[in-house]
Amino acid sequence: MERRTDSPYPRRDRPVLAIIGVLLVVSTVLFVRSDRMRDFWYYQYTFKQMVAEKLGEEKARSVPTGLQQIWVPALRRADRCVTCHQAVSWKGFETADEPYRTHPREPIRNHPIERFGCTPCHGGQGWAVDTYEAHGQVAHWEEPLLSRGLGEEYSLADDTNALLQMNCNVCHRYDRETKGMEAINHGKALLKDKGCRACHVINGRGGTIGPDLTNVGDKAPEQYDYTRMYGQRTAFAWHVAHFKEPRALISDTVMPNFHLTTKDAQALAMLVLSWRRASVPAEYVPGAPRTDPVTAEEAHVEQEMKTGPGAWFVKTGCFVCHSIGVFGVKSPAQIGPDLSNAVEDVQSRFGKTIDDFLANPTGTMSVVLSRQIILSPGQKQEAIRNLRAAFAEYQRQKEEGARRGGASKLQGSH
Amino acid sequence: MSDLANPAKPSAPGVHPEPLWSLRPESDRASGDAVVSNFLLHWFPAKALKASLDWNYSMWLGTISAALLLLLVLSGMPLLFLYVPSVERAYQTVKDIEYVITFGSWIRSVHRLAAHLMVAAVALHLARVFLTGAYKNGSGRGQKREWNWVLGVAMLLLTLFLSFTGYLLPWDQLAYWAVTVGTNIASSIPFVGPKIRELLLGGRVIEQSTLIRFYVLHIVALPGLLGVLFVYHMWRIRKDGGLARADREALLRERAEVAPAPTKTYTLLGIARGTAPTIRASSVEAADATVNAVPDLTRRAAIVNFGTIAILSIMAVFIRSPLEEPANALVTPNPAKAPWYFLWLQEIVTDTTLHIGSFTINGALIGGVVLPGLLVTLLTLWPWLDRSPAGAAGVWFAKDRRTQNLVFILLAVVIVAFTLIGTFCRGPYWHFYWPWQVWPEIPGRI
Amino acid sequence: MIKDRRDFLLKLGTGCGIAALGAQAGASLRSLVPNVSYDAPTTVKLGLPAEYPDGLKFLPDERLFVFREGNTFHAISAVCTHLGCTVRAEALSQVVTTTVEGAPLRMTHKFMCPCHGSAYSGDGGNVSGPAPKPLAWFHLSVSPDDGQLIVDLAQEVGRDFRLTVG
Repeated sequence: MERRTDSPYPRRDRPVLAIIGVLLVVSTVLFVRSDRMRDFWYYQYTFKQMVAEKLGEEKARSVPTGLQQIWVPALRRADRCVTCHQAVSWKGFETADEPYRTHPREPIRNHPIERFGCTPCHGGQGWAVDTYEAHGQVAHWEEPLLSRGLGEEYSLADDTNALLQMNCNVCHRYDRETKGMEAINHGKALLKDKGCRACHVINGRGGTIGPDLTNVGDKAPEQYDYTRMYGQRTAFAWHVAHFKEPRALISDTVMPNFHLTTKDAQALAMLVLSWRRASVPAEYVPGAPRTDPVTAEEAHVEQEMKTGPGAWFVKTGCFVCHSIGVFGVKSPAQIGPDLSNAVEDVQSRFGKTIDDFLANPTGTMSVVLSRQIILSPGQKQEAIRNLRAAFAEYQRQKEEGARRGGASKLQGSH
Repeated sequence: MSDLANPAKPSAPGVHPEPLWSLRPESDRASGDAVVSNFLLHWFPAKALKASLDWNYSMWLGTISAALLLLLVLSGMPLLFLYVPSVERAYQTVKDIEYVITFGSWIRSVHRLAAHLMVAAVALHLARVFLTGAYKNGSGRGQKREWNWVLGVAMLLLTLFLSFTGYLLPWDQLAYWAVTVGTNIASSIPFVGPKIRELLLGGRVIEQSTLIRFYVLHIVALPGLLGVLFVYHMWRIRKDGGLARADREALLRERAEVAPAPTKTYTLLGIARGTAPTIRASSVEAADATVNAVPDLTRRAAIVNFGTIAILSIMAVFIRSPLEEPANALVTPNPAKAPWYFLWLQEIVTDTTLHIGSFTINGALIGGVVLPGLLVTLLTLWPWLDRSPAGAAGVWFAKDRRTQNLVFILLAVVIVAFTLIGTFCRGPYWHFYWPWQVWPEIPGRI
Repeated sequence: MIKDRRDFLLKLGTGCGIAALGAQAGASLRSLVPNVSYDAPTTVKLGLPAEYPDGLKFLPDERLFVFREGNTFHAISAVCTHLGCTVRAEALSQVVTTTVEGAPLRMTHKFMCPCHGSAYSGDGGNVSGPAPKPLAWFHLSVSPDDGQLIVDLAQEVGRDFRLTVG
C-alpha cells in the first residue's frame, strides 16, 4: 500500500463541514420562507372567499392571484395597491371593510385607474407590496397615504377625508372651482377674498412683500422654523398655526392676523401644500385645449349652418367642397361650384339632369361618391329634393332681386 | 470495487479508477497527483504545513475575504440584470428589486452585507498580517513578501473604492450625498483635486455621467483589476514559500543547506532570471509537520467558503437593506454622512480645520487628503522601514516588533473610535450627541 | 452505493449542501422571471354592453369596430393589414346575411382603406386592393368585476366567434 500521511484534521473538520451543510439548508429554508410570507397572499385568499360567497364560484376563479400592477408610463407610476385592494373595480362590495371595498363611482369615472394609477391621488408608496410600506408609514417616504385616519389625527374640521384634495390640486391647480374639491375650493375662494396676492407671488403673479409662494409645497419641512410651535412638527401643522396667528410663529412678521377659523386655516394649508413643481403631462391638465380654439362668432355661424335650411348638406358633408349660398351654408374649401343653382348648372355643364348625374357621376364626383360619401338610393332622393329646394329658393331670390333692382331703377338711379 | 480497508491500486501510475478520486485521495501520491490533474485544485501545494492551517494563526481572514468577494460576484449577477443605471430609472429598479422581484430583497441584502463585511474582513486581514509581521521575508531565498504586502494594500484600496462606487447606484439621498461628500474631499487635493473630481463625476455635478461612470467602474473595471491582483497575490504566496509562519517552522529545524535549483523559475512576465526560491527541504518533508493539501487544506478552505456563504445567507434574511428618499439635489439630509468605512475620514475632516491668524486651512485637505495619504503611504512602505529581524516574521506579537505593533493597534483603535463617534454621536448639523442623548426629530411634510 | 454509516452521513451532508447551493443558484435565476408586467395592457375595457347600439360602433382609441346584434357581439379590427392605416366603415346599400366559418353573420357595412384603396367585405375578408390578409377579429369577453366588455387585442379569434351577453 502506498504511503498515506496521518492527519488529525478529518476528525475535527468533518463535523464542522457537516454543520455548515446544515446551515446552508437552514438558510435556504429561511430565505424561501421570507419570500413567501407576504401580507398580500392572505388578503387575496380572503377576497376570493368573499367573491365566491357573494357572486359564485366561477367569478371567484376569475380573481387574479399574485402581484398585480398598474403601470402608468406618462406619470411614471407602477402602483401595486391592487394586489391587496382587489375589490376596487368589482361591483358589489361598496359596504365592505378595506381592503375589500369597491371604489366610489364618482371620482373614478373621470379618473380611471388604468390612466391615473392610485398614488397620484391617494399618496402612499405604490412600489411597495407590504402594508406599512405601501401606505407610506415608514421612514424615508415623504408621501404618506392621505387617508381619513390622517385627517382625524389633524382633527380636520368638516370632512376628515379632505386631505386627499391636496393631491387633486396638483393637476387641478389652475381651476377656479372643481367639483368634489370642497376644501380646496374654499381655500381658493379665501385666497381671492383675503387678497393674498397683495403681498405674495402666487402662481406667478403678485406682490413681493412676502415670500414667493408659487412652489411653497416643495419647501423642505426642515426649513420651517418650529421653535415657537407646539404640537406636531410638520409642514402642514406649521401652516395651519401660521394662518391662525402669523406673529405667534414669526415674531417680526408684517402679515396680519386674518381671524381665520380652524376650517379656513386648514383649507388654506391644504391649498398651499398642494402648490408643487409637478410635471403634469399635457393630456392630464384639465381644461387644456385639445384643438385650436373656436371664436364665439365662428361657433355661432357653425350652429346656424347645422340647424338652418341647409342642414342636410352639412350633415352629409357635401358642404366641405360646395357652398349653398341661398341657405347660408359656406364651404370652408369651396372646391366645387355653389349648389344653389345646381339644377340648371349640371344641365348646362353635363347635359344631364341632376337625377341622372347622381346616378352616374363623372369626374371628381365619381371618385367622391364611390369612396368618400356613399349615398343610399333613399339618400340620393333626398339629395335631389334638397337641391331642388335650394334651386327654388335661388330662383325666388333672383326674382326678388330683379324686382328690387327694377324698383330702384324706377325710382331713378343715382 | 474498493472500500476503505482495501483501496484499489491504480492500474498504472497516474491512472485512477475511482470517480472523484482527486477530492478524496487515498495516498500521498494520489494527493500530489490531485493538484496536478484537477484544475480547480491547481493553485494548492502538494503538502501544507500544519502550522499554516491553524485557525488561531491567521483566522483564515484572507480566505474569508475571498469568499465574500465570490459571494459579491454571485449575488451581483442577478442584480446586473435587474438594475438600470439611469437617473430616471435607477431608484425605481431598486424599489422593484426590494418588493416585486422574487428573492430580490434577499439577494440585495446578501450583496450589501457581503460588501460591508468584506471591507471589515480585508481590514482585519491587513491587521493580522501586520501584527504577525507576515510582510517580512523569513528564511527563504528570493522571497519578496513586501511586494505581496503592497498588493494587499492596493487590494484594500480597491475594495474601498468598489464599495464606494456601489454605494451611489441606488440613487437615493444616502447615495447621492455620500458621493457628494466623498468627491468634495477628493477635490481638496492641491492642484489636481478639482480635475480628479471632474473626472470622477464626468462633469461638474453629480448626474447621469457620474452614475454611468461609477456603474462601469463597479461592475467591470474594479472587479477585473481586483481579480487580477488577487491572482497575483495568490501566486506570490506560492512563490514566497507559503505563509510567513512556514518560514518560522523551518527555522526551528536543523539547518540543511540545499543548493538552489537552477530549473524552472516562474516569473510574472518571464523576464526575470535566477533560481527557484529555496525552501528548506526539511520543512517540506517533515512528516509530523505537514499534511496533504488535498484533502486537509481543501476541506478547511471549503469550511471557510461555505461557512461564510451560509452565515451571510442567514444574516441577509434578517437584516434588510435601507433605501432612502429619491436623490434630490436641492435637499440635503441632515446629517449627511459618508459610508461607515469613510466616517473616520469625515470626522477628522470636521475636526482638522485650522485657523492660523486669518488663514484657514481647509479640514478637507488635512483630514481628508494629507492624513489619510500619509497613513496609506506609511502603510505601503512599512516593510522597507521595518528594522526587525527575520525571526519576527510569522509570529503574533513578536517581541522585536512590539513597538510597531502597539502603534498600529493604537492607530486602529483611534480609527475605530472615530468611526463609532461618526456613527453614533454625530446628529443633525454634525452636532455632538452622547449616545444616550436623543436626536431632535426631523420634521415631516404632513 | 453506501458503504457504512459514515459514508451515508457524508453522502447525506454532501447532497444537502449541493441541494442548498443549487437552491441559492435557483433563487438567482428565479429572480429574473418577471412577476409584474411593464408592457402596455392588451386587454381594454370598452364600457357596458348596454352602451352599444344595435349595429356598428367605432372605437377610435382602440381602432376597433364593435358589432352588436341583439345580445350577440363581435369585434373586428380597423387596422388595415397592408400598412396599418385605419379603415373606414361604409354602410352597404343592402344588408347581407351570410354564413362565415359555419356561423351566420348579418353584414351591414363594408370596409375601405383611404390610404391605398384596399377593400374588405363585412366579415373583414380582403376583397381588393393591396391588403394581403383579412381584418383581424379580436376576442371579446365580459369583465367579471363590473360587467364591462373587454377586448383582448393580443388574442385573435376566428370569424365564427360571437360573445353572447347574458
